[in-house]
Amino acid sequence: MIDFSRVQKELQECTRDTEASGIKVSPKSDNLARLIGTIPGPIGTPYEGGTFQIDISLPGMKNEDVGMVINLCGVIGGFLFADGYPFEPPKMQFATKVWHPNISSQSGAICLDILKDQWSPALTLKTALLSVQALLSAPQPDDPQDAVVAQQYIRDYQTFIGTARYWTETFAKTSSLGVEEKVQKLVEMGFAEARVRSALEAVGGDENLALEKLCSV
Amino acid sequence: MEETDFDSDRAAEDYYYSSADDATRDGAVSEDADWNFDSMEEEDLLDSEHAESHKGSDRSYRILKKEDVRQRQEDAIAEVSTVLSVPRPAATILLHRFNWSVSQVHEGWFADEDGVRKSVGFLDHTRPFSDIDASDRITCGICLDPYPPAEIFPAGCGHPFCRECWGGYIRTSINDGPGCLTLRCPEPSCRAAVDRDMIDKLAPSEDEKKKYSEYLLRSYIDENKKIKWCPGPDCECAAEFDAGGGDSWDVSCPCYYSFCWNCLEDAHRPVDCQTVANWISKNKDQSETQLWILARTKPCPKCQRPIEKNMGCMHMTCNPSCGHEFCWTCLGDWNNHNSCNGYNGTDAMEVDKHRKKANKYVAKYAHYYERWAANDLLRQLALATLHRMQTEQLTRLSSVQGKAENDLWFITEAWAQIVDCRRALKWTYVYGYYLSENEGAKRRLFEFLKGEAETGLERLQECADKELQQFLDDDGPSKYFEEFNAKLKGLTAVTRTYFEKLIKALENGLSEVQTTGTSGEED
Repeated sequence: MIDFSRVQKELQECTRDTEASGIKVSPKSDNLARLIGTIPGPIGTPYEGGTFQIDISLPGMKNEDVGMVINLCGVIGGFLFADGYPFEPPKMQFATKVWHPNISSQSGAICLDILKDQWSPALTLKTALLSVQALLSAPQPDDPQDAVVAQQYIRDYQTFIGTARYWTETFAKTSSLGVEEKVQKLVEMGFAEARVRSALEAVGGDENLALEKLCSV
Repeated sequence: MEETDFDSDRAAEDYYYSSADDATRDGAVSEDADWNFDSMEEEDLLDSEHAESHKGSDRSYRILKKEDVRQRQEDAIAEVSTVLSVPRPAATILLHRFNWSVSQVHEGWFADEDGVRKSVGFLDHTRPFSDIDASDRITCGICLDPYPPAEIFPAGCGHPFCRECWGGYIRTSINDGPGCLTLRCPEPSCRAAVDRDMIDKLAPSEDEKKKYSEYLLRSYIDENKKIKWCPGPDCECAAEFDAGGGDSWDVSCPCYYSFCWNCLEDAHRPVDCQTVANWISKNKDQSETQLWILARTKPCPKCQRPIEKNMGCMHMTCNPSCGHEFCWTCLGDWNNHNSCNGYNGTDAMEVDKHRKKANKYVAKYAHYYERWAANDLLRQLALATLHRMQTEQLTRLSSVQGKAENDLWFITEAWAQIVDCRRALKWTYVYGYYLSENEGAKRRLFEFLKGEAETGLERLQECADKELQQFLDDDGPSKYFEEFNAKLKGLTAVTRTYFEKLIKALENGLSEVQTTGTSGEED
């Protein structure tokens, strides 16, 4: 069973701290078992400038534990949770598409030890999200979640950086110009659309770099 | 075995029995007030089995029951605790870390105490809340609720958690498996060990404590290279093997499961572990593969290797080492081949002959497999009879024939002998399958010894089965019962001798074939 009182406290603490950390957690619905986490892409990485949303689902009680919990309630008065969050790790996956060796480019599944066997109930949603953010800064291609991305990271680092930046531009940026607007802008300058798209992708979505590239050929 | 022997042995033994030094096992720790028949039978049986299976072998093993393992753990913990002057829970953690080897703990500890302390998570114990006023409130690191200091339980490192949160933490960890034996403080950066005292104090229910203690017990066997669990169904015994120069790994567990300590398969003297592995993997894929081969291939008429035709014309050339050229349709030699599509009685017979040749190896396998499986079935049935004897038949026999139950041990012994013989016999068929066709003399000796043993076994089983039944059906004591007693004892001994000879001869690779071609019959 989820300890909702603790989840409430965590949300309050996180809200107080959002200015400093940039990390937000907000409930998806009113039962607090499903939440949305938001982390900024770390500075100095291809994820810089992006805002990434993470689906959080808090594990509750397993069906087979129900009897035990009732029993425990009888034995130890007021014992209201068993085995759910925070004793079991929160389930997290990227809702925003991201190009990273330890994150599935298809499903957004995250390969991170503290979300599995290294979880501790003394960790919080905020500390877990901070770890996810740290994972964006420090990919571990030797322990990949997405083999294709990991291979690219190892064999062709420059292309990896370009693709990761392009995905950030495409999927993780809401405020700046979308890719379609950039394409339109460059096409209006007289370049062919296919060339514009491949140039944008090659430089990671930066329209100035793309323009340079288009002019240099 | 006599009652007096048993008692004195029991008094003298420590916590195990050894097949090698002939000490007896405490088959019935809980049933000691009056003489218990079952336990005596088991004693006797075990003794006789061990004495037999280990004759001439300097390997020895001990059967450890759960209580024995627990006792060993307690002894090790007491020793480490005394020598290192650490509390017992700390000694337990150290022993678990060093695979339950007292000497390794001592070595490790005296070489680098600080390193060991750090690696297992021993910290300098402080009283972190002693200077806090009882009216203050401390926030639990998990539920984030405030508690008075008395309701906060740190693991020696001072990280504060309340009783409920400890309960949830411990239960989750214990339900996750044996990893709970190396439980640490919930604070991620802290490596402080959570020892058994903490578990006992903070586990939410007895259920968790029991599980923890079970994992601790299992870790002793799992981390010990000399001890393995008996693979018998529902058996909770373990067998410890001492290194020795012998070549038998067979263990007879008190649960009546006999297994090979080395490969954990069913006990398989006289064949070796590799042969057993080959045989088992062969059995696994044999049925499918055989059908496929029979349906899709023909054998090369010269080398008999099965050939699959998947393309091309009728002119076949076998693989290089053979190179035989033949017609796929009639399997005739290609060199003087004209046409084979007209019907011809003799050709058809030729084909049939070739087919027969090809089927020969399938037939050989089938022959040995059938007998192997049949003897295994007979072994299982004999085992069931043995259990039935012990649970009901002997009591009945005792009342019909007016004999004390402990005078009827010879019947249990006979059936235990039958079980053993069926097992050995079953494996001799595997031996036979792998014995080369060219070793004519060896094959003859093998068949002779096996024949003798089999005949003896059939006689023994007939006597222990049908003849015994008459005495069970009697209305009152029979004057022939003593005769039957002597006969069955005699047959048991004779059959045992036959099988010993057979097993020994096969284990020696039938090496005496040149000198003692007629060995094997006496008694």
